[in-house]
Amino acid sequence: MGLQSHSFGRRVRWLTCWMLISIPAASLAENDYSLVPDAFVYCTTCHGVELKGNVSVDAPRLNGMEGWYLRNQMLAFKNGHRGTHPEDLIGMEMQPQAAALSQEQIEDAVAFATALPVRAHTIERTVSGDAARGESLYATCSACHGAEGEGNKLLNAPALAGQSDWYLVRQLDKYRSGARGYDPADTFGQQMKAATAVLTKDEDVQDVVAYINTFEVN
Amino acid sequence: MQFSRRRFLNQVGAAGGSAAVYQMALAMGLMSGDAKAAGSFDGATPGAGLVPTLNRDKGERRSVVLLGGGLSSLMSAYELERAGYDCTILEAGHRLGGRNLTLRSGDLVDEMGNQQRCEFDDDPNMYLNAGAARIPVHHHYLVSYCRALGVRLETFTNVNYNAWVHDSNAFGGKPVRFRQYLTDARGFIAELSAKAINAADLDAEFSTEDLERILAFIKSYGDLDPNLIYKGSNRAGYQQPGVLSPTAGMLEHGHLQEPLDFREILKTDFWSYQMYFGDGEDQAAPLLQPVGGMDKIVQAFVANIKSPKLIHAQVKSIRLKEDGVSVVYQHEGKHKEIQADYALNCIPKHLLVGIDNNFPTEYTTALRAIGRGKMFKIGIQMKERFWEKENIYGGISWTNQNIEQIWYPPHNVHGRKGVLLGAYTWDQSNAEFFARMSPEQRFAEALRQGSNLHPDYAKYAETAVSVPWHRMNHMMGCTASWTPETRKLYFTYLQTPLNDRHFMMGDQISYHPGWQEGAFSSAHHSLTELGKRVSAELGGAA
Repeated sequence: MGLQSHSFGRRVRWLTCWMLISIPAASLAENDYSLVPDAFVYCTTCHGVELKGNVSVDAPRLNGMEGWYLRNQMLAFKNGHRGTHPEDLIGMEMQPQAAALSQEQIEDAVAFATALPVRAHTIERTVSGDAARGESLYATCSACHGAEGEGNKLLNAPALAGQSDWYLVRQLDKYRSGARGYDPADTFGQQMKAATAVLTKDEDVQDVVAYINTFEVN
Repeated sequence: MQFSRRRFLNQVGAAGGSAAVYQMALAMGLMSGDAKAAGSFDGATPGAGLVPTLNRDKGERRSVVLLGGGLSSLMSAYELERAGYDCTILEAGHRLGGRNLTLRSGDLVDEMGNQQRCEFDDDPNMYLNAGAARIPVHHHYLVSYCRALGVRLETFTNVNYNAWVHDSNAFGGKPVRFRQYLTDARGFIAELSAKAINAADLDAEFSTEDLERILAFIKSYGDLDPNLIYKGSNRAGYQQPGVLSPTAGMLEHGHLQEPLDFREILKTDFWSYQMYFGDGEDQAAPLLQPVGGMDKIVQAFVANIKSPKLIHAQVKSIRLKEDGVSVVYQHEGKHKEIQADYALNCIPKHLLVGIDNNFPTEYTTALRAIGRGKMFKIGIQMKERFWEKENIYGGISWTNQNIEQIWYPPHNVHGRKGVLLGAYTWDQSNAEFFARMSPEQRFAEALRQGSNLHPDYAKYAETAVSVPWHRMNHMMGCTASWTPETRKLYFTYLQTPLNDRHFMMGDQISYHPGWQEGAFSSAHHSLTELGKRVSAELGGAA
């Protein structure tokens, strides 16, 4: 509890700091961007400006992602529930980064990421599948992730609309192969691993993500 | 028949193309490949032909923003500044020099999730060239800048006949000397060739005299006996006493080693490329290294560039405009915007696509098509130079283990301690093998594997520093990986200035990614193209 209130204080200081610095700035272009605290330059190196994602280094879009889900996943990496499977080489790149952060720093990172303005215009759609076919496959997903991919915190299901589509494909593949959701202690990961049983073919994954791509992002 | 030099060069050209003519002309002193030959050496200019033509702008000064602080940016800033351009270098990381990185006592290794401090002794000889580590003498730009900027160079030993070849699948897992492996492999192949020549009917192709000379060639190539049988060679070293033995062998006749069983040689993969690695274009002797560490080159450029060189300056956006380029970056807790006439960009292409821009789609597609290489190095401080007692001075031992290579420092011979390179991986899976470990685990594993080449290896080890290049902050990759296909589709395109304003460069935009000369060549190309555009704007008035 003490830790949390301390980190909250730090978060407030940062937010104030951003406002003080960014509001008086004259240039429009400069105001387009959020100042990144030194500790989180690492995040933007891979995940891109304003955490818009960067497929070239396999770093998904975090801009617009729910804070609670970011926290869950940082903890999953830290606890070894993600990024320790021998076949998950990309997850392994993130894992030591999260493992090096304290609980408090994870809270700060979440505060940083969720304070960024959502920049829907930087969402890219790269997956080409049969969205119509994907719609029927999505019926299973919608129970938790919502009919419009809006997510449901009560079920620990993140929003899918607006996530990097190539990342969704890769994660579904990992769940299917067991490279994610492999740890019995990772309850949500195991649920998701079981749910991907409906995707029996590679093209199923492409199709369902093509359907997710049709959702509006606010 | 008397050949004229011109005729000779024409013949060389017919056989080897224009590159051969150029090399030959350099050798004959007909072209100025270096500053002295050109007569223009003034202590600061690399030499005619190596410096790009940059028209001096007599009116308003033109501005160039250099994105990324790698070698191509440093060279460009150096040349542009001298030609009267306003320059600003923006580097996201904590240091300049890119993958020219020398690690010494106290240096930060900015690895994602595994920040380390180098704990080598505070001693000018105790360093690791964690990135670029060798200079082929034919890398003209690099060598010329070293000469012009006063960077002292010394010999770097790449191939060492006394170093070890180790393969866990052959010779009972025991290392053998490179000289023995090489000599015995050649001996066997020569013997085989001699038999084939004797058996074959080659009358139509060769005269009797030719055949005799071919056999003589093969005999001396493999050091065969008078019956054209390979029974060992002094090239492989002697049994005790003799070469490589613990006792001096100059006072009695040595006994040749038993040749290695060729079937054992075949079991290794060493013959697949490491055996002739030292014949390679950029690997053949002689090679050089700067005295005191590779980053002496970075330091020399930095000392000679007056323009602002900002570190911790992360670029957020690059926007091409009609008349220039606008760059937004974060520095010292503020956002700043630079308007420049031109941008020269050596940011790793895989990180560049994470930065906001208004590039055309095909430009981004091209940037994304080039892969990021993965390489790993670990430097280990050894409290004794035990390898020198094994008759190893510099060079490389090779193994089929994940560490792949062990390099022995060529400098500070017979010094008390030394930093050796305890792993240098070229196979991506070996880079990943080490990258997934903690620095402590990497150290332990490198020692475990190295002990298969050197008994008591771990006993000498004091401290280590490891660098997985694909995990380094602001790098996230090593050598750019091009395929023949992506080269064909995108190389020329990416080399061409976008909108006449934005120039991609660095070793990534060269045919020698991973070499400093690639970075300099690319910078030279960009500056030449920039010079042309300025000339065109000035309407030939310059």
